[in-house]
Amino acid sequence: MITCARVRVLLEAFVDGDLAADDAARVRAHLSTCADCRRQHDQAISLPFRLRALSSPVPGPSLVGDVMQAVGAERGGYRRSWTLLVPEALLAAFILWYLSGLDGLSSIASGVFGDLLSLGSGSLPHVPPVDVLLLVALIALVVVAAFHLSILVRLASPRPAHE
Amino acid sequence: MSELRRRPWAWLVLIGILAVVGILLAIIDISIAGKWPTPFAEAVVGPTVVQQESGKAVTLRFDRSRAGERVIFAPPFAGFDPISPYQALRAFLTNGAGLIILALAALVAFPSRARSAVERLEARHGVEIALGAGTVMVLLTLAATTLLRFTLLFLGVVPLVLLVSLVAALFGIACISLAIGRLLHRRLGLASVHPLVAALVGALVVFDLAVIPYAGVFALAAVAMAGLGLAVVTRFGSSGGWTFVDLNF
Repeated sequence: MITCARVRVLLEAFVDGDLAADDAARVRAHLSTCADCRRQHDQAISLPFRLRALSSPVPGPSLVGDVMQAVGAERGGYRRSWTLLVPEALLAAFILWYLSGLDGLSSIASGVFGDLLSLGSGSLPHVPPVDVLLLVALIALVVVAAFHLSILVRLASPRPAHE
Repeated sequence: MSELRRRPWAWLVLIGILAVVGILLAIIDISIAGKWPTPFAEAVVGPTVVQQESGKAVTLRFDRSRAGERVIFAPPFAGFDPISPYQALRAFLTNGAGLIILALAALVAFPSRARSAVERLEARHGVEIALGAGTVMVLLTLAATTLLRFTLLFLGVVPLVLLVSLVAALFGIACISLAIGRLLHRRLGLASVHPLVAALVGALVVFDLAVIPYAGVFALAAVAMAGLGLAVVTRFGSSGGWTFVDLNF
């Protein structure tokens, strides 16, 4: 016959299902006859009790620093995502000025439309002459805007659960 | 609030109010007529007064009743065009219905993507990020299409770029409509209802914003840009987001 003291020792392994079959059978037989051990067993299988029994992990020394750095990076990224609008606006204003404002833009749009129509009629359109300065400004705007967009995408991305 | 919560028909009342507000705003918009920027003035709904050139054949296939010429009132102030409720109703039934049908179609076709996008929009700074990304995307699209204009080879890509931008903006507007409907649901404490009804209410709000005289064009541009930005930053509502992991092989 197994004693109460021995059952208390084996109880945790019993609850976890780690006991050998014969030991488990002996513990089970004892629990059916001993009210005190049964109460201990009921406590052991209750989830809140098991959670309380777990020791809290000690936070690492870098925890606070890491959290503050993560928060700071997010804030910094958010600020940077707005400040990038300044060079973009400057480039856009320069391009607009270079193209003579909205008239230039609309002439480009109508030119695209006309050229596409002429493609349908079988004749190749004439590529309009363009200044390298304008091309550089357009490419710079594309690059800055793409970089800006990548920052905004990172800000909008869902945070992975393990982070 | 709890009073409203018990009444599912409060949604119907809300839809009715938003429709009436939209039509009233369209009446004002049409009366202001061609004074830029009024999006629903002549360019969209046509002239308030139909003028026929004598001797010229005019097809009446689409307007047999000619009610628009009869239901028309003198403007209350000098300098404005006549008040035409019939034209305003027509604007609501064409542009409003078109917007709502497209928004609902996008939600029906891509429900999980729409949910993901709306969740991102409702997250912290979601609206600002969508609006910022939309602004950047407009600049990016303009710059890219202008660049492509100066080539012969990629000229045919320009309409494709514009088409993709338009589709993205429409998807984003649909998601914004759903988000507005959900916001109204929470704020007004309305009864739970099918999400498409909430999206319909949101789309009506977007239509109402678009027909505000003078400010409407800017409001619609802001919504469209936010929609475009939302579609881009969420990659059309993809749950995984943007990743370049597959390129690291």
